Amino acid sequence: MTRDELKEHILKKYDGLLTPLETGVFDLMCEVKPANLTKVARMLYDDEQLKFDFLNNIAGVDTGEQFEVVYSLSSISNNLRLDFKLVLSYDQAVIDSVKDIWTAADWHEREIWELYGIDINNHDNLKRFLLPDDWDQGYPMRKDWDAPDFVRMPEL
Amino acid sequence: MGLIKKVPVYAEHVPGGGFVATQLESVLSHAQACSMWYLLFATACCAIELMCTGASRYDFDRLGMIFRPTPRQADLIIAAGTITKKMAPRLRRLYDQMAEPRYVIAMGGCTIRGGPFYYDSYAVEKGIDHIVPVDIYIPGCPPRPESLLEGCLHLQKKVKAQKLADWHEK
Repeated sequence: MTRDELKEHILKKYDGLLTPLETGVFDLMCEVKPANLTKVARMLYDDEQLKFDFLNNIAGVDTGEQFEVVYSLSSISNNLRLDFKLVLSYDQAVIDSVKDIWTAADWHEREIWELYGIDINNHDNLKRFLLPDDWDQGYPMRKDWDAPDFVRMPEL
Repeated sequence: MGLIKKVPVYAEHVPGGGFVATQLESVLSHAQACSMWYLLFATACCAIELMCTGASRYDFDRLGMIFRPTPRQADLIIAAGTITKKMAPRLRRLYDQMAEPRYVIAMGGCTIRGGPFYYDSYAVEKGIDHIVPVDIYIPGCPPRPESLLEGCLHLQKKVKAQKLADWHEK
């Protein structure tokens, strides 16, 4: 299945759940509503024609206006790639866990929770992960984060 | 080693004692400077240069510098690489476990002032002199083996210039 065929398939079968975005030559990127996350994830995993059985990565993004959470999926058996992202507002920064679909999501979600302060529903292992154990300075990957010894790159 | 420190004090009262004290001083500091065993503490890419310096081409061993895997056997800690805030307490702990007299070499830009991670980093300690007292700073990113050898020669000079009475005053 080529990238265009994948797009066709998604438009046909996942109408309203996955919205393909224009991403040029890169892997197909779609947008998903946060409320539909677990449903879409389960469908992509179970779909016989796609079978996205491998979660490459979950990335958090702070654009300065909103949070985005980007999921990168691979299908080992069908040789496919797909990315999709959730858009979250700052005051509604909550997502559902996909840990029970892809086990790899465990650490990625912990990392996002720790560095961005995005809350994860139904995740039973949310505890300090990468930061020092006595860290009390908030969420360092947020755009507006600051600390006494934090030095911002000066504008050149 | 408290006894050695008292040698100059008592030697003064004995005829020829001053001579013995200074000779002892030079012998001891020469021995110490020429057997600087360093702790393997390599946290980033400076480690590659450190390993290269230890290998046959540059040959650290001819300065009497042999790596030790435990702080209990080390006189010197060469901090080779970025020290993150999470790593900092561990570095301090290793330093505390070393027997005195002990020395620290800060190798590379990261250990001096955070290096390329000075700006926009929440994770990197901006200089290891916030954590442990540093004897020699070796700039570079990473420093070439020649720089590291030069730094070690400077450390030897520093150790050889030590007076008995100043031992363990660090």
